[in-house]
Amino acid sequence: MNIFGLVWKNISRNRRRTILTVLSIALSLFLLSTLMTVLTELERESPDGDQHLRLVVRRASSLVDPLPEAYLEKLKRVPGVRLVHTLSWFGGIYVDERNFFANFGCDPETLFPMFNENRIPLDQLAAFKAERTAAVAGRKLVDRFKWRLGDKITLQGTIYPVDLEFTLRGIYTGLDETAFFFHHAYLDEALGRPGKVGTFWLKAASAADVPAVAERVDAMFKNSDAATKTETERAFQLGFVAMLGNIKTLITSISSVVVFTILLVTANTMAMSIRERAREIAILKTLGFTRGRLLGLLMAESAGIALAGGLLGTVGARIFYSAVDVWKHTQGFFPIFVVESETIALGLLLAVLIGVTSAALPAYRVSRQTIAHALRRTG
Amino acid sequence: MAVPLAYNIRNLRVRLFSTLMTVLSVGLVVAVFIGVMALARGLEEAFEATGEPLNVVVLRQGSQVETSSAVRRDALQVIQYLPGVALDADGTPLVSPEVIVLLNLPKRADGQGANVLVRGLRAKGFALRPPVRLVEGRAARPGLREVIVGRAIAERFENAGLGQTLRFGRSHWNVVGLFEAGRTAFGSEIWADTNELADDFDRADYSSVLLRAENPAALRAIERRIDSDQRLHLKAQAEPAYYAEQTKNAGPIKILGSFMAVLMAIGASFAVMNTMYASVARRAREIGVLRVLGFQPGSILLSFLGESVLLALLGGVLGCLLALPIHGLTTGTMNFRTFSDISFAFRITPDLMARGLGFALLMGAVGGFLPARLASRQPMVETLREE
Repeated sequence: MNIFGLVWKNISRNRRRTILTVLSIALSLFLLSTLMTVLTELERESPDGDQHLRLVVRRASSLVDPLPEAYLEKLKRVPGVRLVHTLSWFGGIYVDERNFFANFGCDPETLFPMFNENRIPLDQLAAFKAERTAAVAGRKLVDRFKWRLGDKITLQGTIYPVDLEFTLRGIYTGLDETAFFFHHAYLDEALGRPGKVGTFWLKAASAADVPAVAERVDAMFKNSDAATKTETERAFQLGFVAMLGNIKTLITSISSVVVFTILLVTANTMAMSIRERAREIAILKTLGFTRGRLLGLLMAESAGIALAGGLLGTVGARIFYSAVDVWKHTQGFFPIFVVESETIALGLLLAVLIGVTSAALPAYRVSRQTIAHALRRTG
Repeated sequence: MAVPLAYNIRNLRVRLFSTLMTVLSVGLVVAVFIGVMALARGLEEAFEATGEPLNVVVLRQGSQVETSSAVRRDALQVIQYLPGVALDADGTPLVSPEVIVLLNLPKRADGQGANVLVRGLRAKGFALRPPVRLVEGRAARPGLREVIVGRAIAERFENAGLGQTLRFGRSHWNVVGLFEAGRTAFGSEIWADTNELADDFDRADYSSVLLRAENPAALRAIERRIDSDQRLHLKAQAEPAYYAEQTKNAGPIKILGSFMAVLMAIGASFAVMNTMYASVARRAREIGVLRVLGFQPGSILLSFLGESVLLALLGGVLGCLLALPIHGLTTGTMNFRTFSDISFAFRITPDLMARGLGFALLMGAVGGFLPARLASRQPMVETLREE
């Protein structure tokens, strides 16, 4: 019998204990994968598209105060700016408050050039541009409410005192398929043309232009009535996360408690299992097993158990969250919730480390015992 | 006859390492549960504690919060002379028209911005909010662009401390006083003068109107009157109800807490089960002896189950102790409805601790049942014959 056979025999000798330990570790790692994914999703970057070139211009005082529409022409002339897009958060409610999804008034001409990671069929895009009350929605959003092209959709204003009726003219696909876009001009008209815009989005000509563009824009409006704050899309996104409070600390501290609990559970199991086997280990020693070899044997056993639990927990988490509509259940908070391979790898690495660590102390103690002493001891 | 509890306690002491490990894992689960729930509780209480029973908040129809509401100045004339509105000592109606502005301020901790609610009000606004007390400095004088700041905000945000200057709107605003507001949400606000704030932010309208009704019947009458007036296009709501809506903010935290607690608790029950199975296996002979002495299988089942519950309860107590230091810790999060920052403190209440202990008890019972049943079913003679 080779060494792996021996490890396997040991793992399967108390099957009930092994299964309970594996399940316990699996649950903890499932939770850990969930927590790590929460952090990943809060700070998710678009992998393709021009995110690194995009900047957001908002009112310096706060995001809820709008900017004058007249800034559009001025922004277009800022050196290093390739494209300017208007985007206003409407905050409309569809039928019921619980149906929350993001909805924006925008410029239909520049929407897709700006967010070029999103795709839409050309005929639908043309239909969206042609009609003032037209709207486009992401594939996931459309599926959720079982909309079809041509459907009338009414959004009740909460920030603005108007309810708007739209006709769905297009369905886009992309990374985040949960948003709803319509003509900003339609909203402006319904409000009596106040000429206000929530935010302007800029696309810089190159990555090198990004910092200079932000400075130029803010300098230009510094002494006006509506001073601006311009930041990269990434900074804008992280700013939102920061407003939620110290989520990172909360999740990291919970995660470390979870990891520590797994360590305790595994260490306890290994200690129990090794103590019961003291005599057997002494016999292995008389057979010529060195201390190092014994230590390795026990650590491999523990790492194997932890790894099995880890695999079950992390891969289980990925399968679970791909089957469950997290977007809907969190009321729109997480449009995307994917347990990434990096998360799985990290979870598995942690599991192995925990396995090795938790076997270390009891294994070390037992490997140091003299043979005669161990043999004399009764289990 | 029941097996004496002392037997179980001694057993827990004999296998100290195993006992400690199990107690600690149950304790950590309970601590996490209490910690997350204390966060949710603190946030909920901040909103629950806010609002006087006879106060009425008037907003634009269709808007759910003050930050997105607008009340025309001429509407104020109608509102303040409605029958049933309480009068101040000087005989004027207790009505406070207010202007709300959100201000993005950097936090002292990390420099990241969060939205702080700035409320423009006058003396009537103070009179309508009894929990608010000035604790340092002095009241703001009109005409001088002075503000007073909730203590929690002063501590958490840059340039918001007493004697410092905030720059917003078109002016510099001196912080001349700090106020406390019990546990209410007002403690997370900055207060300025109505007209100064409206001027600086070009607000032609008020954001909201707060008024006091003479009695509960008058309150209902005022609500009906305002809601049904087609010209006003406004909506009235009792102040406690308005803030109670915002306790929904704690919903996601509670879901997260329960979700984690359930997962971790199942894991911990497995750990308890492991420990108890090992304990039963090692005590096979002892159990045999107990049976010979005349203890019935039922007593043995109860004894082992009791031991497991005791083990878990110790964990529960440890968990409560581990969680206690976070009580009173202040933190802040975004109020999703108003989009503004709300400061609050972790609150560990006795019932929360009781729930933690109950939770531990459950883990002990679930984890201990199968091993205890195994113990009670062991054949007496064979176990004694073993080496």
